[in-house]
Amino acid sequence: MLWRELVAGLCATRRRDLAWIALGGGGLLAYAIADIVVALHAAGPKLRHDQLLWMLGLPVAFAALGWLAGNAMSRLCLSRAFAPFLKALPLASAERRRMAAVGAFALGLPLTLMIATAVGFACAVIGKPLAPAWGLGAATLFALSFGTAGLWRLRRPRLLVDVAASEAAPVGRPWLRRLDRARPSWLSSWAWKLPAGNIRPSWKLAAASLLLGLATILGAWASLAGHTAGPAAVAGLAGGILVFMLSLRCQPLGSPVLRTAPIGFTRVWLRLVRLPLQLSLAFFLLPAGAALAAEPSAWSVPVASGLWLLVLNGAYAVFGAFFLNTPFVAMLSFAGALAYAGYETLEYGRTVLIGLAALVFFLWHRTRQRYRNG
Amino acid sequence: MAEVLTVKELSAGYHGRIVVRGIGLSLHRGDIVGLLGANGSGKSTLIRAITGQIRLIGGSVVIDGIDLAAAPERAKAGFGLAIEPHELPAPLSGRQYIELVASIRGCAPNDLPSGDLPGGDLLERLDLGRWIDRPIAEYSLGTRAKIAIGAALLDGPPLLIFDETLNGLDPVAAWEVKRVITALCASGRHAAIVSTHVVEAVPALCNRAVLMADGSLSRSWDAAQLAEAARAPGAFEESVMQALRMRAAA
Repeated sequence: MLWRELVAGLCATRRRDLAWIALGGGGLLAYAIADIVVALHAAGPKLRHDQLLWMLGLPVAFAALGWLAGNAMSRLCLSRAFAPFLKALPLASAERRRMAAVGAFALGLPLTLMIATAVGFACAVIGKPLAPAWGLGAATLFALSFGTAGLWRLRRPRLLVDVAASEAAPVGRPWLRRLDRARPSWLSSWAWKLPAGNIRPSWKLAAASLLLGLATILGAWASLAGHTAGPAAVAGLAGGILVFMLSLRCQPLGSPVLRTAPIGFTRVWLRLVRLPLQLSLAFFLLPAGAALAAEPSAWSVPVASGLWLLVLNGAYAVFGAFFLNTPFVAMLSFAGALAYAGYETLEYGRTVLIGLAALVFFLWHRTRQRYRNG
Repeated sequence: MAEVLTVKELSAGYHGRIVVRGIGLSLHRGDIVGLLGANGSGKSTLIRAITGQIRLIGGSVVIDGIDLAAAPERAKAGFGLAIEPHELPAPLSGRQYIELVASIRGCAPNDLPSGDLPGGDLLERLDLGRWIDRPIAEYSLGTRAKIAIGAALLDGPPLLIFDETLNGLDPVAAWEVKRVITALCASGRHAAIVSTHVVEAVPALCNRAVLMADGSLSRSWDAAQLAEAARAPGAFEESVMQALRMRAAA
């Protein structure tokens, strides 16, 4: 099914767009590979002898990557195996899970091969002895982690449980009654998929709140203990953007409910951004206050941090709107764009940031056009 | 009477592929136009083009005197579209959805055109009372259609558009909705487009009908022809089938 979806998607794409993707994407990929090879070659001697990187950094990175990929791929396959149109067919739950497992395996295999090739090639470039063995080791770690995450998800039919939970959604006074009444009303409840505006407590929400709270307290403590504004300001900036990225959802922008209504793109977009921005700034205030208390003379540090938070939130809001149905892809793309711009800045200076700004403007323009014309 | 909708030489489609072409259509206040056609004939594409959901490849759409391409937000204030049931915001309750649409249109959530009809509140008459505070995700197809129709009627826009929304209603709700549409259009302030596959319902509800085939308007019926067809049982259906057969043979 996924293969057919991919083929149908490619067939539905205009040839001109396909050519752009193939030529532009291929060119960029070739440039990126060449750039990485040059950078690896230059840093070869240092990388070869970095014990921490080979013993801890890379294994943890590949295990984490495998876990994330396994989780995402098995989730994708489960969603297809439990698709509504298949529900009427005489397929047992175990059979559907088996189908999903086969699908996840079929997707995981090429990913593992890519990891093995990339790591082996990178090791060969920097002159690391036993390059194929390192590639094989990285691929094994990735595959093990991928398989564990896949099995963990496939053994728990969360999709079915979610359906049952939504049927039993509680009804009462919506929690966001006061915050979500601005025009258009209830837009954030819709974006956050709160059933009738009620927040359902979940372990994900609790874990995210706990982690962010801990990071804030640690940052504030580090600043207050060292009488320096830096750690708390950085914690505020990083936590603020993370809160914004995790809370921004823009899928209503694709709905005909808004697209056929007398309301423009910018107004809807700003309204969708409003509550996540308030959450992000509310989170930022505590570490920023700690930074100011730790080093009152360095007031410009938390102020600059706040301004950067606004700029980054604005940029991510554009990515979130462009990838409106796939917030995870939006986060990855944004992080990738920032990392790439940061890397190129080292080589070409701050003029690269103009390119990043142009990309943000281009995505905003395309998203606005899509809202208007489909 | 003033034109509520003027469509001239409209061509539209998806990803550069033209699905409907050369469409010319005008609606005056008081008109109820039945939009007929086989599956894939282009009815929904035409409605998507008229409501600004897809880019026009050619031609123009003017709603209540405002060009859709030039001033889309102002033009969209001129129509109320009953959203397809599966496109409704499933997490919101029916009341929240009505409040969402009312907040966009700048009217009160109870600004529904039922004051001049006997029987009180329209949402109550559509039997939505016990569902109104539940999430739309829990609604049946018919209940979703009812809430979509209720939202389309908010603030009484001059042009009402129903894309097969009436098909899923129960008999009582269908009767209530038809009564409201007829009363609104008879008042001379509104016009309606009703896209449907229920051919036999058209002469009773509409005063004009158009048939779409292969992406263009292949036949139309005026008020007199529809009234004539309504006298003999099955006459209008026979007329539609004949037009479809001729089109298929051509």
